[in-house]
Amino acid sequence: MTEGLLLAARDLRRDYAMGRTGVHALRGVTLDVARGEYVAVVGPSGCGKSTLLNLLGAIDRPTAGTVEILGKRVDGMTDADATRFRLRNIGFVFQRFYLMQALTALENVELPLAEAGVPRAQRRHRAGDLMAYVGLAERRDHRPAQLSGGEQQRVAIARSLANTPSLLLADEPTGELDANTGAEIIALFGQLNRDGTTIVVVTHDEDLAAAAKRVLHMRDGLIVRDERAMRSA
Amino acid sequence: MVMLIFALLLMQQIDSSPARAHPQGPRTIAIDERLAADVGLKLGDRVIVSGTTGGGGDTVIVGAIVRRSADPSEIARGEYRVRMHLDQLQRLIGYGERVDRFAVATRSESSTVLAQRWINDAAFGFRAHRSRDIAVGTSKTFLVVTRFHRAIGVITIVASAIFLLCIMLLKVDERRRDIAALRLMGISARTIVSSIVLEAAFVAVLGSALGIGIGWLSSTIVNWHYRAVYRTPLIFSLVTRDVVTLAVALSLVLGVAAGFLAARRLAKLPPLALFGR
Amino acid sequence: MLFTLAFTSLMRHRARTVLAMLGVAVSAAMLLDMVMLASGMRTSFRSLLLVRGFQLRIAPKGTLPFDTEALIDSASEVRSIVQAIPGVTTVSPVLGGQLRVELRDRVVAATALGVDPTVQGDYEVTAGREPKAPDEVAASDELLEAIGARIGDTLWVATGFDPQLRTYVSRRPVIVVARAHFLYAALGQRMIGAPLATLQSMRGSEAKDRTSLFMVRVGNGVDVEAVRARINDAAPKVTATSIASAMKFVDERLSYFRQLAFVLGTLSLFVGFLLVTTLVTVSVNERIGEIAVLRAIGVRRGRIVLQILIEGIAIMLSGAIAGLALGLVTGRYLDTILSDFPGLPAAMRFFLFEPRDAWAALGLLFACGVLAGIYPSWRGASLPIATTLREEAIA
Repeated sequence: MTEGLLLAARDLRRDYAMGRTGVHALRGVTLDVARGEYVAVVGPSGCGKSTLLNLLGAIDRPTAGTVEILGKRVDGMTDADATRFRLRNIGFVFQRFYLMQALTALENVELPLAEAGVPRAQRRHRAGDLMAYVGLAERRDHRPAQLSGGEQQRVAIARSLANTPSLLLADEPTGELDANTGAEIIALFGQLNRDGTTIVVVTHDEDLAAAAKRVLHMRDGLIVRDERAMRSA
Repeated sequence: MVMLIFALLLMQQIDSSPARAHPQGPRTIAIDERLAADVGLKLGDRVIVSGTTGGGGDTVIVGAIVRRSADPSEIARGEYRVRMHLDQLQRLIGYGERVDRFAVATRSESSTVLAQRWINDAAFGFRAHRSRDIAVGTSKTFLVVTRFHRAIGVITIVASAIFLLCIMLLKVDERRRDIAALRLMGISARTIVSSIVLEAAFVAVLGSALGIGIGWLSSTIVNWHYRAVYRTPLIFSLVTRDVVTLAVALSLVLGVAAGFLAARRLAKLPPLALFGR
Repeated sequence: MLFTLAFTSLMRHRARTVLAMLGVAVSAAMLLDMVMLASGMRTSFRSLLLVRGFQLRIAPKGTLPFDTEALIDSASEVRSIVQAIPGVTTVSPVLGGQLRVELRDRVVAATALGVDPTVQGDYEVTAGREPKAPDEVAASDELLEAIGARIGDTLWVATGFDPQLRTYVSRRPVIVVARAHFLYAALGQRMIGAPLATLQSMRGSEAKDRTSLFMVRVGNGVDVEAVRARINDAAPKVTATSIASAMKFVDERLSYFRQLAFVLGTLSLFVGFLLVTTLVTVSVNERIGEIAVLRAIGVRRGRIVLQILIEGIAIMLSGAIAGLALGLVTGRYLDTILSDFPGLPAAMRFFLFEPRDAWAALGLLFACGVLAGIYPSWRGASLPIATTLREEAIA
């Protein structure tokens, strides 16, 4: 793997069996992402964007092809190894936030830290810092049901950063938000990237795609165009 | 009451025993099937019966093997029963001219009542008891068992009711989004509750049918097992029409009530609350 | 964090959690009762047999003590034989019978025990003193209450009835010198304890030098079974029964209750299991998205399983603790029903609580809770993450 390259995917394919016919969600995607990049993946529904994200995040296995992150092959890892890898190196943000309803905002952010074995006092402190970073310091003791959509997504982002991952993967992070709130999240992603986080985001949101430095256009399971936009920091 | 059971000594070699024979040849006795099975006696076998251990006795012939009656008072009693001529038994056990009781058969119910009254009024100091009154008295053991079973049954019903309610609550809860969607479409809460209650009733009917089958099978196994253990023709478990009716009615009521309560609980909530908003 | 997540998940659906706990509580109560029933009878009966330290009972050949009306002939000879066997310290003869206590306007029947007051093991004097003279007796509270008598009163007792003359035979006066608690009497049974010779003479020729049974005490460290075998060899007209063989007999006679205890106990466990497994399954299905996300963010499968298991175990254990208390109450109630068995010693218990029973029930419930939660939680934690997230998004 080339130095400076965080992620390298080669000829990724993913097929699903659907009754008698098969679905070829990815038909051979090759992709490199360097450290510090901010990549948006766009395309019509069903083009394979989310499938690509799942393979890059080692939460799914390709039918063929390889994925290397930080020099490690993740496509062939056992479930336990992949889980461990994700905990330490990859942060996830989902369209539907997926916060634990039973926990407070702070406790949600603490979750990955607890799993990583960080002592309680330390993880409380770190989680508090992250909550402040996303602008929700005063809402730390609220439960998700007491937060707005935008606030929940910010908590989800804070959670994804808990173990200082090398790579942040986001699947339609503004999908369930209104325009104003979406703009706040877009701004937050920008801030994260400026602070050094490598981001790959799948989106239908044109504003979010515009904020990225590189846009991959997908269609029918393939990357059809790779735009590197010149954006000022 | 002197039992009809006494020490029965069986000697295989009758010609070596100091037994007494009836002048007109050995008399016959009737033994119960359990005794016959346990000691290997069959019709025509000669045995010696004695009232005392090691003492002399009478040589008799097994003339009949009697099936045990379905008498609850005989359950779990290990004794054997022998029937013999009254005078022979009186002599063997030194009872003189005494007996423990007389059994009186009458022609009709009214005759029974009259006979009982007459005997009790007679100046002989006897008391006459109706057979069914004695049966009630000797069945006290089983009355206790009945009460015990009833108590267990009540506890089981309470447990089942709670269990049903909990399961219905869980199952209906699982479908809260479906219910929310239906409510948003304009389907009334009453219709939703009715459909769930109908579903619960259907499941209750199926469950009852299955339960009757299991109950019948269990009853058969219980009877088969305990008849063998206690060696009796008594029926231990009986599935009657009343029992089936009660069980089905109870399960229907409980099942439908559980479904109604669970459905009503969710149907009362605003649809958006059901979506978790 | 695991416990926090488990606890808050349970509190999210209070009604469901409370109902599940109630269901488990009733199952646990039934289970405890059945565990008590399975062992209670034996323990109670054994304690009863050993209450005065007599390890052996001798009855007429082929019979069990007081199982028939048969008597042991040449009782004094048998007593001597048994007393001579090495290891035997005490031989207590007992003759059973019926006595009628004559009152002015009525007759009250009582069960009589003819004993040797110096070595008897059938009653404990609660007031007064042990009968010494031939005309002295001990009476139970029930009898004294029925006839309105006290210690010091003289009673006219009789046995046998001549229907021709309409009089009782063997009528004689006796003096109540003791109020006694008869160890093997049934509930409400009216008892009278008299010297053996007194009862023998009252019963006439049919009881001359005869007893119903002997109770035998052997010395410490003596092999009871060996003594039993020697008695059976030395006195072929009788059968000696040890506690062990008596227990075997009880096991056979009361096997129904042990089998019932096993069946109902198993059913209770099964019901509790079903309840918890259904609850955990529904809970997992509701949170399948959450579980997939936990996996996605790096939480190990084992920890997710553990968290869900904790929920199941928490319901099981909290229901179990409530159920154990309930079980003691229902056990007492069921015991009062079964204590009504005719002829059963009042001291006999069917539902006897021993701490090990509670531990056994708790242990079984805990194991059940684990088993009930393990499959649904493992299944939930093993679903493919990507597919689950997609299905949740669509849903």
